[in-house]
Amino acid sequence: MGEIIQVLISGILVGGIYALISMGLNLILGVVRIINFAHGEFLMLAMYLSFFLYSVWGLDPYVSALLVVLILFVFGLFIQRIIIQPILNTSATVKIFVTLGLSIALQNFALMLWRADFRSVHTAYQTAVINVGTVAVSIPRLIAFIVAIIVALGMYLFLNKTLVGKAIRAVAMEKRAAALMGINVKRIYLLAFAIGSAIVGLAGALLIPIYYVFPTVGTLFVLISFVVVVLGGMGSMLGAFLGGIIIGLVEAIAGVVIAPGLKEAVYFIIFILVLLFRPSGLFSLGKGSEEVGLK
Amino acid sequence: MRGLLSKKSIFLFILLIAAFALPNFLKNKFYMNIVIMVIFYAALSGSWNILAGYAGQLSLGHSIFFGLGAYTSTLLLVKMGVSPWLGIIAALIMSMAVGALIGYPAFRLKGPFFTLATLAFSEVIRYIASFWKELTNGAMGINIPFKPGLATMMFRTKEPYYFIALGMLLLIILITFFIDRSKMGSYFIAIRENEDAAEVLGIPITRYKMYSMLISSGLAALTGVFYAQYILFIEPEAVFNINFSSQIALMSIIGGMGTIFGPIVGAVLLVPLNEIMRSAFSSLNGLNFFIYGIVLIIVVSWMPNGILPTITNQVKKRGLKVSTDRKGAGKIDTAN
Amino acid sequence: MILQINSARKDFGGVTAVNNVSFDVKQQEIVGIIGPNGAGKTTLFNLISGALPLSAGKIIFKGEDITNQKPDLICKKGVGRTFQEVKPFGNISVLENVQTGAYNRLSRRKEAREFAEHVLEKVRLIHRKDVTAKSLTIADKKRLEVARALATKPELLLLDEVMAGLNTSEIQEIIPLIRSLAEEGITLIVIEHIMEVIIQLSHRVIVIQHGEKIAEGTPTEVINNKRVIEAYLGEEITIA
Repeated sequence: MGEIIQVLISGILVGGIYALISMGLNLILGVVRIINFAHGEFLMLAMYLSFFLYSVWGLDPYVSALLVVLILFVFGLFIQRIIIQPILNTSATVKIFVTLGLSIALQNFALMLWRADFRSVHTAYQTAVINVGTVAVSIPRLIAFIVAIIVALGMYLFLNKTLVGKAIRAVAMEKRAAALMGINVKRIYLLAFAIGSAIVGLAGALLIPIYYVFPTVGTLFVLISFVVVVLGGMGSMLGAFLGGIIIGLVEAIAGVVIAPGLKEAVYFIIFILVLLFRPSGLFSLGKGSEEVGLK
Repeated sequence: MRGLLSKKSIFLFILLIAAFALPNFLKNKFYMNIVIMVIFYAALSGSWNILAGYAGQLSLGHSIFFGLGAYTSTLLLVKMGVSPWLGIIAALIMSMAVGALIGYPAFRLKGPFFTLATLAFSEVIRYIASFWKELTNGAMGINIPFKPGLATMMFRTKEPYYFIALGMLLLIILITFFIDRSKMGSYFIAIRENEDAAEVLGIPITRYKMYSMLISSGLAALTGVFYAQYILFIEPEAVFNINFSSQIALMSIIGGMGTIFGPIVGAVLLVPLNEIMRSAFSSLNGLNFFIYGIVLIIVVSWMPNGILPTITNQVKKRGLKVSTDRKGAGKIDTAN
Repeated sequence: MILQINSARKDFGGVTAVNNVSFDVKQQEIVGIIGPNGAGKTTLFNLISGALPLSAGKIIFKGEDITNQKPDLICKKGVGRTFQEVKPFGNISVLENVQTGAYNRLSRRKEAREFAEHVLEKVRLIHRKDVTAKSLTIADKKRLEVARALATKPELLLLDEVMAGLNTSEIQEIIPLIRSLAEEGITLIVIEHIMEVIIQLSHRVIVIQHGEKIAEGTPTEVINNKRVIEAYLGEEITIA
C-alpha cells in the first residue's frame, strides 16, 4: 500500500514539472498559434543558465530563479520578434521547420559550448525528503510542484482578471475582432511568447536541483509537453496543468506496472489515442485542435 | 520551350554518364564515402519527398520506415542467413505495412498535428526496438558480421556500394518522375494545396494519401537495407532517431520540396558541408548541426519553396517575357 | 428530375442552418438561390456536395440516394461545385489546377491537359494558364473555380457566388457563359447575391431565409412575392 502511494505521489510531483513546461508551450500555442518545436531548448538553456549561476557565482537555483525567468522572458521577446513574427502568415510547413531549425541550432550551440556532459548542481537539500508515514516526499520535487500550482493560479488570475490578460485571451479567441477593438495583436503575441518562455525558464530553474542538464535534455521534455498539451487541450492553462499531472501519474504507474523501459512508450501511445479520438483534448471546450494551427 | 527541355535532358544524360564513370576517377576512400553518402541521403530524402513534398503530409517520423527496412533485412540475414537481396522484399512489406497502420489513423490529422503524431509514432517504435531485446538486441544494436560477397551484399571496396546506391537513387528519381507526370502526382499536389478543393474534384483523399505513404515508406525501406549493409551496424538510437528524420526532411526542404531533383540538390549541398565541417572542426562537436539549424531557419524563412524552385522561377521569369509577348499578340488576334 | 432534395436539415450544435428544405431541379434547368447573408445557402451546397453530413433528410441525384456520401464520390457521380471563398491550388499553374479537375474523367495526362485548355478557353482564362494560381486577381480566381469544376465534366454544377466581387462588365461577360453551359446540357444551381443577375439568369428562383425556403417560382413571381419583399426590406436590394 505504501509503495503504491509512493509511486502515485512521485508521479503527481513530476507531473507538476511537466505541467509547468506545458503551460508555457500552451500559452504560445493558444495565442500565437505556433507549435514551438524549440520549446525544449528554451528549457535546456534555462537549466544551463541556472547551473552556471550556481557553479560560477554560487547562486542557489531557487535564488537565481528570478534572474533566469527574467532572462528567458527577454530571450522570448527576442526570438518572437526576430524569428517568429516574420513567418506568422506563412504555411504550416514554414512554421514547423523554422522552429525545428531553431531547436537544432540551439541544441548544437549548447553541444559546442558545453559538450555532451551531464551536469548537475549539488545542494544540501537536493536529496532531502519529508517522511509522511512510510512515504518519502522529495523536497525539491515538492517545491517544484507547489510552484507549478502557484503559477497555474497566477496565470489564471492574470488571464481572467487583468486587462492585459483579457487582451491576451481576446487575441487567442479571435484575433481579427481583437484587432478591431484596438488591441495591438503583434504586441500581445510578443508578450505571450515572452511569458511562455519565462514560464519554461522557471521550470528549468526548478528542474536543475532534480535533473541533469545536457544539450538534448529539451527533446525529452518537449515531447512530453506536446503530449500534455494535446491531452489537456490547446490553449487551455487548466488543461495543461491537469494534463501534466496525468502524464506524470501515467509515467509513474506504467514504470511499475508495465516496465520502466516502456513508460515513455505508454504516454506516446496515449498521445496517439488522444490525437485520434479526442483531438480537441480532454478538457478543452474549444474547436478541435486539428482545425486550429492551420492556415 | 522544347529547346529548353532537350537542353535539360542532354544535361541530365551527361550527368548520368558522369555518375557511372565517376568511380574510375575517384579512388580516394574519404571522398568516395562522401559521394556515397550524398547519393544515399538524396535517395532517402527523395522517398520522404513523395509523402511530404508532393502529398503535403509533413512527417517527422520517416526514420521509422528507414529503420524498419534496415532491421528487417538485417535480422533475416543475421538470424536466418537470408540474403539482403531477398531481405529487400521483406523490408518493403514490413515498412509498407507499418506505413499503412500509421497512416490510417494519422491521416485524419492535419498540419502540425499530423507532424506531432508521426513524431510520437517514431518514439514509440524506438522504445519498442530498444526494449524488445530478444529480437533486436535492444539498445546495444546489431553488428553484422562481415562476409563479403554479392549474395550477402557486402563488399571490400566502395565501388559496388556506390553502384547499388546509384541504382537506388535512379529508381527513386524515376518513380518520382512518373508520379510528377501522372494523375497521381496531380492528385497528391491537390491534396497538399487544399484538401477541401481536392475532394470536390473527385479525389479520394485518404486513398491517395495512403498511396503516397506506401510508396514513400517502401522506398525508405530500400535505403534502410542499403545503409545496414554499408555501415554493418544498426542501433535503435541511430536508425529510429527524430533528429535523423528532420535531417532527411531538411535535404528536400532546402533543395525544393515537391520537385524531382530538389532532394538531390539538398543532399549535394548539405552532406559535403556536413562532412567537411565535421572533419575540419572535429574538436567543435555540434558546429555542423548548429549551422544546419541556422541554414534551415534562413532558407525556410526566405526561400520557403527551396533553392531549386527559386532558381527555376528566376529562369522562367526571364523566359516569360518572350511568351507573354506571344500571348499578347494572340489576344489581339481574337479581338479582331 | 436530376436532383431532389427532401426535407434537408443541418444543425450546428443548437443552431439550425438549414431547416426542412425541399426542392427539385430539372435537367438543364438554371435554378437561382437567393437569400440574405447567413441564410444557409452555402450550407445547402455543402450538404449536396457532401462536404457536410445532413442532420436529417435526403438528397437524390439522378434517382440515386447520395445522402451523406463522400464528396469525391458525389463528384464522380456528376456533381461539381465552386467555393464562395475561392480555394485555388495556389502554388501550381492555372492549367495544372484545371488539369487536376479534368483527371476526374480522363486518366491520360495528354487528354486531361487538352481538355483543361479547352475549358480555360471557354471561361476566357487561357491567357493566364502558365501563371501560378495564387497570383491571379480575385475575378480570375473565380473563373478558375468555375473552370476547375467544369473540368470534372459535371452534369450538375453548383456555383456559389461566382460573381461576387466582379465589376459590371465582368458580370456581363460571365452570364452568357453560364447560359451556354445550360445549353450544353449542364444543370445549374446558382447562388448569387445580386438580384439582377439571378433574375436575368434563372429559370426558377428559390428564396431562403433563416435556413428555410420561403418562396419558389419564376423570377417575376418571386420578386412580387410578399414574403420575399418582407424578407428583403431593410436588406439592400441590389437591383442595379
